[in-house]
Amino acid sequence: MAYVSMGEAHRRITEYLNRFCDAVSYQDSSMLCRLLSFSSNSPSLISLADALNVFQDASSLIRQSEKFSEYGEILAHLFRSLQSYRVGNLVEAYLAFDKFANAFVQEFRNWESAWALEALYVVCYEIRILAEKADKELTSNGKSPEKLKAAGSLLMKVFGVLAGKGPKRVGALYVTCQLFKTYFKLGTVNLCRSVIRSIETARIFDFEEFPRRDKVTYMYYTGRLEVFNENFPAADTKLSYALQHCNPRRERNIRMILKYLIPVKLSLGIIPKDELLQKYNLHEYMNVVQALRKGDLRLLRHALQEHEDRFLRSGVYLVLEKLELQVYQRLMKKIYIIQKLSDPARAHQLKLEVIAKALRWLEIDMDLDEVECIMTILIYKNLVKGYLAHKSKVVVLSKQDPFPKLNGKPVSS
Amino acid sequence: MAAEQKATTEEVKMDLFEDDDEFEEFEINQDWVENEEQVKDVGLQWEDDWDDDDVNDDFSHQLRKELETISADKK
Repeated sequence: MAYVSMGEAHRRITEYLNRFCDAVSYQDSSMLCRLLSFSSNSPSLISLADALNVFQDASSLIRQSEKFSEYGEILAHLFRSLQSYRVGNLVEAYLAFDKFANAFVQEFRNWESAWALEALYVVCYEIRILAEKADKELTSNGKSPEKLKAAGSLLMKVFGVLAGKGPKRVGALYVTCQLFKTYFKLGTVNLCRSVIRSIETARIFDFEEFPRRDKVTYMYYTGRLEVFNENFPAADTKLSYALQHCNPRRERNIRMILKYLIPVKLSLGIIPKDELLQKYNLHEYMNVVQALRKGDLRLLRHALQEHEDRFLRSGVYLVLEKLELQVYQRLMKKIYIIQKLSDPARAHQLKLEVIAKALRWLEIDMDLDEVECIMTILIYKNLVKGYLAHKSKVVVLSKQDPFPKLNGKPVSS
Repeated sequence: MAAEQKATTEEVKMDLFEDDDEFEEFEINQDWVENEEQVKDVGLQWEDDWDDDDVNDDFSHQLRKELETISADKK
């Protein structure tokens, strides 16, 4: 830590106090944002932190002037947090910031206009990030992490403050997204439900009024939830919205959207072009797409195995595994077309024996009973139109459209 | 050996608190320009009529050969 004289420390702290109070008096939200962004590690905040650690009794400075003491509680907690943050006591930093945030939110409520919304966003962001760091510190000391969960409670409180009729309500979606990030990180995604319900059903909210960046983030997370719940049409709508409206320069975000949208599209019988996979470095889906195009069950299994960890972590493994039925459909169609080339009159009859041979070639060992079972499922799910002649061990295909396309609808469950 | 094991369990614990796919924050005071190109672009990224009757690829050729050996067996 840099050496700071008492005089210089006094100067820096007073300067910050003036800036803070002026920002509030003149409703200068951008200035206030800069004063609160710990995670930016800006030189001015670092130098302030050093000054605080030298001066030690900033509260006396605050008390000295009426201008400063009006926000005494807020500033005292903020300073304490910054001091702890600077020396790497992240749990202490979090605890003080939590107190600061609570005091700040109380003050925010009293400000009639929404001038300080952006500063409130900064507070919400900073508390989440600080909580994550605090939890890492707790974990590395063998203690139980609980600060991120606590930050979630504070964020809910902020949501409540914004969920009213006035102009502050447009901030609710930003806070919602911070909550999503919190819950997803904690693995408690079920907690998203109540805030989603508020956003989508409360009459005070008009979704179109929210800023675009928040709508995109919102659709990304709610889209992912739809994927978890296997509501593919809804997931398609939401993730596609996020994709279409996302800032095109934010390629990492676009890649994340696609990571979840692609399995959804595949489940609806729509495939991504190779250029898309290349552009956003989504090579893990290439073999899956190829397998579906060709009807190559072996390739699908191989692709799932090769990227099993990745698919499991993102939670799309089961979605991709279920594509197997669509790959079976494609394979049956190929067999049918090949048969038509050599013996058109009898092509619509698929012998179970023939299917079994094709499967064996693809390293899938099934006896005729198992093959019959698969074919029954395909017929039941309307992937194959026809019937099973059990005694002759043949699938008799419908003459018309024996392999109906999904046409944007998921396989019937 | 013991140190290695400890490192991996800690890694796993950290993993539990990770969401690999946390959306990056957008700048608060900046909005971006959306143009028609972007919306059109998306339309050029997906195929829904890929399910054709073409059996001229390698996979289909090999499948055909495989199926033909069945009829050969029968003769």
